[in-house]
Amino acid sequence: MAVIAEPVAKPISRSQFILDRREVLETILVAPAILYVLLLVGLPLLLAVYYSLSAYTIYNPTWKFVGLVNFEEILQNPTFIDTLLNTFVFTFGSQLLGLVLGKFGAFLLLQPFPGRKIVRALIILPFAVPVALATIAWQWMFDSLYSVINWTMIAAGILTREEAPNWLGNPYLAMLCIVIINAWRFFPFAIVIFLAGITAVPQDVIDAATVDGAGFWRRNYQIILPMILPIMAIGLIFGIVFTFTDLSIVFLLTMGGPGGATSVLGFAGFQTGIVSGDVSHGAAISLFMLPVLLVVVIFMLRFIRRREI
Amino acid sequence: MSTGRCRRVTRRRFLTQSGLTLAAASASSLTAPFISRALADTKSLSIVQWSHFVPEYDKWFDQFAKDWGTKNNVAVAVDHIPVANVAARAAAEASAQSGHDLFGWNGAGGAHLYRKFLVDVTSLVEATEKKYGKVSTIGRQIGYNQDDKTWSALPDFYINFPAMYRKSMWDEIGIKPDTWDNVRIGGAKLKAKGHPIGISLGHSNDPNTTWRGLLWSFGGALQDAEGKKVTLNSRETVEAVKFVTALYKEAMTPEVLSWDDSSNNRYLVSGIGSMIVNPISAYRTFQKANKKGADDTFVMAPPKGPVRQLMGGASEFYGIWKFAKNKEGAIEFLRYYVDNWPEAFKASEGYNNPCFSNLVPKPMPILSNDPTSTPNDKLAVLEDSDQWSASPGYPGPSWPAVDEVYNDFVICDMMSKAATGEMSAEESVKWAHQQSEAIFTKWHGKT
Repeated sequence: MAVIAEPVAKPISRSQFILDRREVLETILVAPAILYVLLLVGLPLLLAVYYSLSAYTIYNPTWKFVGLVNFEEILQNPTFIDTLLNTFVFTFGSQLLGLVLGKFGAFLLLQPFPGRKIVRALIILPFAVPVALATIAWQWMFDSLYSVINWTMIAAGILTREEAPNWLGNPYLAMLCIVIINAWRFFPFAIVIFLAGITAVPQDVIDAATVDGAGFWRRNYQIILPMILPIMAIGLIFGIVFTFTDLSIVFLLTMGGPGGATSVLGFAGFQTGIVSGDVSHGAAISLFMLPVLLVVVIFMLRFIRRREI
Repeated sequence: MSTGRCRRVTRRRFLTQSGLTLAAASASSLTAPFISRALADTKSLSIVQWSHFVPEYDKWFDQFAKDWGTKNNVAVAVDHIPVANVAARAAAEASAQSGHDLFGWNGAGGAHLYRKFLVDVTSLVEATEKKYGKVSTIGRQIGYNQDDKTWSALPDFYINFPAMYRKSMWDEIGIKPDTWDNVRIGGAKLKAKGHPIGISLGHSNDPNTTWRGLLWSFGGALQDAEGKKVTLNSRETVEAVKFVTALYKEAMTPEVLSWDDSSNNRYLVSGIGSMIVNPISAYRTFQKANKKGADDTFVMAPPKGPVRQLMGGASEFYGIWKFAKNKEGAIEFLRYYVDNWPEAFKASEGYNNPCFSNLVPKPMPILSNDPTSTPNDKLAVLEDSDQWSASPGYPGPSWPAVDEVYNDFVICDMMSKAATGEMSAEESVKWAHQQSEAIFTKWHGKT
């Protein structure tokens, strides 16, 4: 009688056994992302922190540790305090305006009308157009000689040339201009956020409120808005972080003028650290953003978590 | 039956043969970096510089560099970048220790800031001086290191800032804008007729240059001749600031507060402005837009102040990175370029001004006889512009602190804060002095 050998179970390799462990597999799969964040975000951040605590300049690239001297010197400069305030006005002003525009834009785009899909696609343009091109177009609109806004108002007989606003030459108007441009760039993103949030609100909730007699404003501010607050907050975090660190609009439109009225942290850090070569002070100026952004982000994330619970 | 005999493959034989094959195969790849590096070292030269305000110059330069490359069997690549990006590009190349071989700087900053990254070009500058005469004051301020008497950069050219005025308008009021006082008095009269003066009080290179010129003309200055002390807080500076306040109120409009470098050009071309202080690119633009208006626009040396007649100039210079792959090629190219400098001068339509006294013999082409101008010697005044041009550090050297004051627009803001009434002249000067002193103190500890 033939003896058939029993099939020998193939031994499980040690590596297979390790991969079967959920926590190990999770770690392995997440590791590239962590490594990526550490290399591309963590290292530059640490480098910036060290720059800000050193005497590093382009003239003399030394890693000599100087402690908080750079920060002290920056804080002693009254111009820096103005720059810090400008950054807050620029950031929160443009976010507020962007949110208002985004909300109304979203409501308009929810209404059925012919060509809605095309309009929805086109509304993304300000977000997609390169900032340099967009800002140059705005510069023309605010130009001291050839402002199309002023020209229209003068042509319509609303103003004379002498009365026309000096958009970029008046400190308050110049700030308003950069706020408007940034809000214009941000509002398509806000529209997308609002659209996603509003369409996710169950229709029966809205219907029930309507049956109960809630009008347009009550439905929006007592039902829809509270329900979409978490997703709105995420959008706002993005907006605040990007605006707080932005220098492009200021660099292209006003160079911080008139008289420093539109200088923001990103711009001041760039001018000092890169253009003037004082890397340590430039890094210190830029790092003033870090605690502010950290507080804003932590506050908003906590808020979102509470709302979700 | 086969008669052929396969040779038995022994272990020794296999190892020997496979080893030889591997060695042969890898020889090319192993030596490739050395060969290609060697080729790269001798066969290519990369240059970066600003996009010139006279586009024809860029065309000429690119062809000139290419022709030199063809003659010398070197592949030359020239990149042109916007003027506002030059500083950031230099910082990036220095940090990465990699980039172009030859770097062309524009305006403030550069040679003195990047000194430790740049090849010493003293012998090249000295040889050029021997051949083409002494380097001018503005040329010396660009790339010369006072402490060890070396050169970090070869002065290429400087851009002068003459005054340009509408002759018919000024003739009508019977005043010539040859002194700052006349500019204010005549400007007030012309403003009343709808033709104000146009000098930027915004944040850009032009006001940084122009208001320094006015400050020097009144006897004030940012620093002393050694570059050690800030000297801004002086009676002369206060007088200069008071003058600018009066000039702004009487002869200009608030538009100037937001101007960039191109605004005054457009102001002149629009026919509104009666006078500007700007490089002749404004005049060239006018010629292309409106020949009649350009013919009525006259070019003159900057107005005289109570103390002197001086105006800022924007310097251009070439540095060779220490990490450049083809340093010798870069020096060779610069030597050839200097020998052909009059061609460069012509290509720039008289915009590039020589930094060496005999580089372009007088009468200079184009400036002494410009066929496009009426009268054709309208630009002749620019032949002597080195006598009334200086770098931002005047009367001292250009160094990183001077650059930072420049990049922070401290002098422009000192003028605009007083002009708009945000501060009194005294307060504004004190503010600017404090700002500058903080910057100087910081850099004194770092240089």
